[in-house]
Amino acid sequence: MSIKYLPCFIGRMLGALLVSLVLSGAALAQQPLRIGFGMSQTGALAGNGKAALISMEIWRDDVNARGGILGRKVEFVQYDDQTNPSTVPGLYTKLLDVDKVDLVVSGYGTAVIAPAMPLMMQRKLVFMSLFGLNVNSKFKYDRYFQIMPAGPDPAVDWTRGFFEAAATLNPKPQSVALVGADAEYPHLALEGAREHVKRLGLKLVYDKTYPPNTVDYSPIVRAIQATNPDLVYLASYPPDSAGMVRAASEVGLKTRMFGGGLVGPQFAALKTQLGPLLNGIINYEAYAPDVGAKFPFLDQFLAKYQARAAKEGVDPLGFYLPPYAYAMMQVLEQAIKGTGGLDQGKLAEYMHKNSFDTFVGKVSFASNGEWAQPRMMTVQYGGIAGNDVAQWKKSGLITVLYPNEYKTGTVRAPYHENRK
Amino acid sequence: MTNRVFAAVAFAVAIAFAAVTQLISNEYYFTAAYTVLQFVILATAWNILGGYTGYVNFGSAAFFAIGAYSSVVLYNAFKAPLPVMIVAGTLIAGLAGLGLGYLTLRLRGVFFAIASLALAVVLYTFVVNWDYVGGARGAYVLQPSEVPFGLPRYVHLLYIAMVLMSALALIVARTIETSTLGRGLAAIRDDELAAECSGVPTLRLKIVSASVSCALMGMAGTTFPYFLSYVEPSSAFNLSYAVNSIAMPLIGGMMSWVGPLIGAVLLGSVQQLVQVTISSAWNLLIVGVLLVAFVTLAPNGIMGWIDLWRRRGRG
Repeated sequence: MSIKYLPCFIGRMLGALLVSLVLSGAALAQQPLRIGFGMSQTGALAGNGKAALISMEIWRDDVNARGGILGRKVEFVQYDDQTNPSTVPGLYTKLLDVDKVDLVVSGYGTAVIAPAMPLMMQRKLVFMSLFGLNVNSKFKYDRYFQIMPAGPDPAVDWTRGFFEAAATLNPKPQSVALVGADAEYPHLALEGAREHVKRLGLKLVYDKTYPPNTVDYSPIVRAIQATNPDLVYLASYPPDSAGMVRAASEVGLKTRMFGGGLVGPQFAALKTQLGPLLNGIINYEAYAPDVGAKFPFLDQFLAKYQARAAKEGVDPLGFYLPPYAYAMMQVLEQAIKGTGGLDQGKLAEYMHKNSFDTFVGKVSFASNGEWAQPRMMTVQYGGIAGNDVAQWKKSGLITVLYPNEYKTGTVRAPYHENRK
Repeated sequence: MTNRVFAAVAFAVAIAFAAVTQLISNEYYFTAAYTVLQFVILATAWNILGGYTGYVNFGSAAFFAIGAYSSVVLYNAFKAPLPVMIVAGTLIAGLAGLGLGYLTLRLRGVFFAIASLALAVVLYTFVVNWDYVGGARGAYVLQPSEVPFGLPRYVHLLYIAMVLMSALALIVARTIETSTLGRGLAAIRDDELAAECSGVPTLRLKIVSASVSCALMGMAGTTFPYFLSYVEPSSAFNLSYAVNSIAMPLIGGMMSWVGPLIGAVLLGSVQQLVQVTISSAWNLLIVGVLLVAFVTLAPNGIMGWIDLWRRRGRG
């Protein structure tokens, strides 16, 4: 090649390089944004895991219909963690090292969130988690974020609503019975309840736990009744929630307030199974049709969710976990858009500094990754007739007692007179 | 091959497997291998009592949990180093096995099986109500921030520990199998009454067998808290440990140390593979179907089937 053609040759090469760079940039923009997670599709929490997965898929489809995030379509890489914590380290290392996902989020529940934490901390990844109870209390990881509205001190904030509602009773309650299952969540809830008992100066007349596999709950309810408490706070998982509610009805428990921390009645399965037995019971809920106006976009989500849930045989109402699974992804989406990329440090910083508009309202995070303000609602069930699931979509059955911004009524006491 | 040569070969292979940590950077393979090796130890341990002696232990998960929770205690009390946890957990599980064996192995037949199941329930209830180890809420055991021996991640250390422990379990199993103790255990398995009439000290041998078996199960659980960072009773006492530690020797063959190794590697690898390929309820069905197929087509396990095939080949 003659020297006189050299500038032309270099120019062509540079041009080719530029074109290839532009093309590769375009190709990168076209590459899907891959989000990986394990989710329980089998095992004890499969029902909730499936419901959460449906919600996340609805979010993915919504985002992709809008053109994706930063021009990239969203793809999920998802595995079944079998509700077995020992599968989690393997699944998440596969997601990161073999599948090379761009981001990871957690599966459902403390037991499958905690085993992923060491890996997240080693890789310095943002870890958005779904309904973990106080997981970060030991890890103290500054890139951990949690979507359950339990508040910065989950043990105390979780039970606050029941005791705030109790404080409104006239005359003031004097004594309280605390009861719960020998399991992770009830222990945490009872720990928080004891704090409120002290704070309010209540007399603790019963404070016991029972084995989770208890069959007959009547002796427990009778033992509680023998102490004649003004309040009975119960922290339980679905099987024992059902057992205790039935036993309270059969034994004829007489107290001013009963309930507080029952897991199960948030889901359609237990709502329909227990039906009118839930009348008068105080509990926590994430959503009530009466406060639908406070969540203007939630109806659109629930309509999509309920249509899919009916086909796939999971929780047909979707009031509890599904909106939060969607909201978790909304937070992530807004953080990525806000930082303009996937830099984990910037994402974490952005998530700490900003609040996020989601279907479940405005979300902002405390320094430990929990919600800055607790927002789980304390409610009282009433007016339930029969076991029809459709009635729960109407207003009037779930009265919100706390927090005050969502309050739709006051406590109807005593429990035994409102049970009918 | 003498037991000494076998031990040397086993440790040489283990060191070769451990050296892989310097060649492969992908952590996934080590976490998957950790799980498979954990089952190699459990299956080998179960087979010492179940296969060699003929006494079925349904409480494998309980002994695994003893190992795991002794590590939790040592972590909470002293932040003890990993080797101390392994040795202590193994000894404590062995003592529990000795106690269980002493109390129940005087009886024959299914009584030990029932007692082992009962022990699992009793221990589960005990742990659930023991706040020092987290009780029902579970305990967090955080991996140390510094990894020894210049290894890149803590999972590499756990993998190496598991490789060495697997080698040790196989050496113990083979040594028992080829020793006088093993022949005594085989006599008990074939006909306990006849063995006793022939002068075999059946109770003593059964207790030794139970102690060693349970100690090795406990050893498999000692590193579990560091692997998960969070231990709660339902995961430590998970039914899958009891089921797999019986199913793996059944599939591989219960008459020799090779059977549980083959069964654990095969079933453990299939479980790992199926979990990330067919990620739905189908994965449980596939493992179940595999179990039924193996037990039906090869009732003496893969090793039994190979022996049969060899005998037929010889005419």
